[in-house]
Amino acid sequence: MENYFGEMTPRIQKFRNNLLNTTPKICTERAVLTTKAYREHEMDQVVLKRAYMVKEVLENMSVYIEPETLIVGNQASENRAAPIFPEYAMDWVIKELDEFEKRNGDRFEISEENKQILREIYPYWKGRTLQDKAYAAYPESAKTIYDIGIIRNEGNITSGDAHLAVDYESVLKYGLKAVRDRVQRILESLDYTVYENMKSSYFYKAILIVIDAVESFAKRYSELAAKEAERAEPVRAAELLKVSKICARVPMEGARNFPEAMQSLWFIHLILQIESNGHSLSFGRFDQYMLPYYEASVKAGMKREEILELLENLWLKTLTINKVRSWGHTRFAAGSPMYQNITIGGQTADGKDAVNELTKLVLVSIGRTRLPQPNLTVRYFAGMDEDFMRDCIRMIKLGFGMPAFNSDEIIIPALEALGVSKEDAYNYSAIGCVEVGVPGKWGYRCTGMSYLNFPKTLMIALNDGVDLTTGKKICKGVGKFTDMKTFDEVMAAWDKTARMLIHQGVILDNCADMVVEQEVPDILCSALVKDCIGRGKHLKEGGAVYDMISQLQVGVANLGDSLAALKKCVYEEKLLTREELWDALVNDFAGERGEEIRQILLKAPKYGNDDDYVDELVVKGYDTYLDEIKKYKNTRYGRGPIGGNYYAGTSSVAANVPQGAGTCATPDGRHAGEPLAEGCSPAHSMDTHGPTSVFKSVSKLRTKEIAGGVLLNQKVTPQVLSEQKDCEKLSMLVRTFFDVLHGYHVQYNVVSRETLLDAQKHPENYKDLIVRVAGYSAFFTVLSTQTQNDIIARTEQVL
Amino acid sequence: MQKGYIFNIQKFCLHDGAGIRTDVFFSGCNLRCRWCANPESQLPCGDERSEAKCYTTEEVLREVLKDEVFYKKSGGGVTLTGGEVFMQYEFAMELCQKMHANGLNIAIETAGAVDPEKFSALVNQLDFVFIDCKHYDTQKHRQGTGIGNELILKNISWLVQSGKAYTVRIPVIPGYNDSLSDAKAFAELFVKLGVKEVQLLPFHQFGEKKYEKLNKKYDYKGVAQLHKEDLKEYKELFCASKISAAIGG
Repeated sequence: MENYFGEMTPRIQKFRNNLLNTTPKICTERAVLTTKAYREHEMDQVVLKRAYMVKEVLENMSVYIEPETLIVGNQASENRAAPIFPEYAMDWVIKELDEFEKRNGDRFEISEENKQILREIYPYWKGRTLQDKAYAAYPESAKTIYDIGIIRNEGNITSGDAHLAVDYESVLKYGLKAVRDRVQRILESLDYTVYENMKSSYFYKAILIVIDAVESFAKRYSELAAKEAERAEPVRAAELLKVSKICARVPMEGARNFPEAMQSLWFIHLILQIESNGHSLSFGRFDQYMLPYYEASVKAGMKREEILELLENLWLKTLTINKVRSWGHTRFAAGSPMYQNITIGGQTADGKDAVNELTKLVLVSIGRTRLPQPNLTVRYFAGMDEDFMRDCIRMIKLGFGMPAFNSDEIIIPALEALGVSKEDAYNYSAIGCVEVGVPGKWGYRCTGMSYLNFPKTLMIALNDGVDLTTGKKICKGVGKFTDMKTFDEVMAAWDKTARMLIHQGVILDNCADMVVEQEVPDILCSALVKDCIGRGKHLKEGGAVYDMISQLQVGVANLGDSLAALKKCVYEEKLLTREELWDALVNDFAGERGEEIRQILLKAPKYGNDDDYVDELVVKGYDTYLDEIKKYKNTRYGRGPIGGNYYAGTSSVAANVPQGAGTCATPDGRHAGEPLAEGCSPAHSMDTHGPTSVFKSVSKLRTKEIAGGVLLNQKVTPQVLSEQKDCEKLSMLVRTFFDVLHGYHVQYNVVSRETLLDAQKHPENYKDLIVRVAGYSAFFTVLSTQTQNDIIARTEQVL
Repeated sequence: MQKGYIFNIQKFCLHDGAGIRTDVFFSGCNLRCRWCANPESQLPCGDERSEAKCYTTEEVLREVLKDEVFYKKSGGGVTLTGGEVFMQYEFAMELCQKMHANGLNIAIETAGAVDPEKFSALVNQLDFVFIDCKHYDTQKHRQGTGIGNELILKNISWLVQSGKAYTVRIPVIPGYNDSLSDAKAFAELFVKLGVKEVQLLPFHQFGEKKYEKLNKKYDYKGVAQLHKEDLKEYKELFCASKISAAIGG
């Protein structure tokens, strides 16, 4: 059973070991080159400045070829080293220079020399970074909310956007030369007396600069490979010469076979992550657009194992990419995840099964490399072949949290309801983890804007608009809990307060977007998303065909559980008075009576057990969010894209841990500082009736309106999937959730508690132990102790 | 409407019948198996030490119907177990009628030491029967469980003739019925009764902690669990008698 997926070739094995044994470093090359380009091009339009920056970096950064690789292209001076992107934010980098090596999780090494380099460029960036400008632009009320952290959008002003899949299909087919030709033609015909044309002309010129830079970058590898071939032993020399030829052709020309397509894809995917440090840059429907090249190569005699080796090689390459975030932000995205999603399976536009031979090889190869990158999503649909389902469950049994399932049955209609055409809706792919977009046509951040802390919002609502933790007034008060005579008053307070904070969240997001548009537009990325070139607008100006974005919430389950406990214990059964409950919450259930009160609250119905009493309150509480968020427009509204609005999504990534740390005790019986529930999963250890009940509870949410993703994690221990017939029952469970209950997403974490505890004690023995933190996989041993404990504490579903 | 005592309604059970099932655990038992993994089920209905709750048949029905969508897709349903379901016969009867009216597939797990008339009447309402046979020898049966096996064998005999789908289960207990000569004797008895389907349940220790909680003496404390591989030869002796045997649920 263990060998169902087979073994990696020795060279891939070696490459993998090297990557796993690498301690990530901080790389300053991009920072230095970017500073140089910015200094030299201060006078230029921002799009040109950005293009010259990309050119400076691609033409001067270190390039190298790993001895084991057949696909070339590196992000930084060493694999897994994280570049610094100074134009986004520098304050935290300088502040944390001496802390990178001391971190509890996501540690990075940095040399004294590099620290000095960063200190030297810092003065130039003061007041010039995205963060400086965005913070200065925030209206006063939004600033308070940002400072307190009830809404988090630090990630939006300290790094780039990404959260999209570009039009890889066209790049592979026609090459960048086709883009260059098109842009040149447009540029030649522009009448500069028209304001819009003049503005667009800089964008077009920027595209030409960037494409030339990509050409030089590929050429550098072509030359390097040829040079290294001179010194290599014959077998490797032949490989390097082949690599050299491929790099001389792609990504400028169209690919003709599988190796060319793989190299072309990697160049683009890599350069987009050099251009900007946004994460969740996703591959889209890899098994669909790669198929013609796969078929051509198989026809020409390329063997199955060669195809697999190349696929495994690409997955290892995705792991070479790294990102360093501020410590504050790291806690929201533990495990330095890049969320490079790859989506396979699903249906074709005419409703047929899209699973092909390459789909299966992607599954096999990822089953061999077993790494947290890429993040694999399988699109489920009712007609999914049971053999393929069985293979997916075989992978789940390997215990590294993949694949995640996203269901066509709900996602396609949800997208159509948002205004996406049928053909595009059928072609959706996962972006990052659970969220979805249309590859090559959808702007940044289909989800991934700011996070709203639901339970904290409830506590502010019950405390006349004042945050208990900081004592600061957050918004207009609607009274105190101790004066609320009926449960309806509690609901009304939640409704009013949540709406005020959602409103503030939109202000923060739109302000961040406005400044990103002005300061850090991405040129290559925009050139590869339809219809930026046609409109002469980069993505943040409204270049994409679709542009709808979603914010995220943390602690959906805690909100519902808290409402249920208040309703039952205070207003219906009168087990507690308002005063004594409030007193217990303020004092974090201190003393004997405090613990008694907590036990009473814990006995109230909890979300995740298929109990309508509480599930309906979760839905009702969430309805406020759904109703309010759809009133708002993003900064691209009316500028071209379909949509230009907001919608809901529940992917909270790892934000549940730090957000919980800053949240006082809550009426669901949760102590102050304890983690909140993640995504739409039940609160920790509160789902005591098994997976079917969890599915039932989750399915009561208005999933079709939460098109940004309804994230559900389930954990199982490996021994329970040892029998084939049990695996079949898991398949039935998942199928029922999707076909009948219209679930959106589910992923399984198959690890035993014992394994995790042992891994905490002996991290050196578990270097490749991967867990789902929430919507993505991470190495367990690099997570902070707190996050590790959180994972261990989650209920193990008895399968 | 009948009321009854239920000590657990457990969703997503995979090992007590076809598909995804909900197990309904009835309180009260007329056996006192020394190895019992559910000692709380031996407490009489309404005993204050018991955590069992009193339900109407309607309430149980409502609870089991919550997972109806999962039964449908997987060919599953509800399994009545315990304790001994027949200890609350009228309640069980009314519940089965209601579940049948809702199209649910119903299985039962019973020790079978019950009045044959009641046995046949309830079984007629069911889709599948798991009936235990803990020992082939009535003296030994009495030693291990507190009562002889006469009624059980009578009910098995009727069941086999009735045409109802069934499986006879043997909990294989170390030092009690786990020798190969025990297996042979079981097989001879089953041939005589016409039993065709047997499941062997290896002894496990999942209930050990419950005895501590109930402050009850446990004769099998610390006894090693049996595993699938321990029962290989044991199982083959059934196959040799043309009885289909499987290990585990």
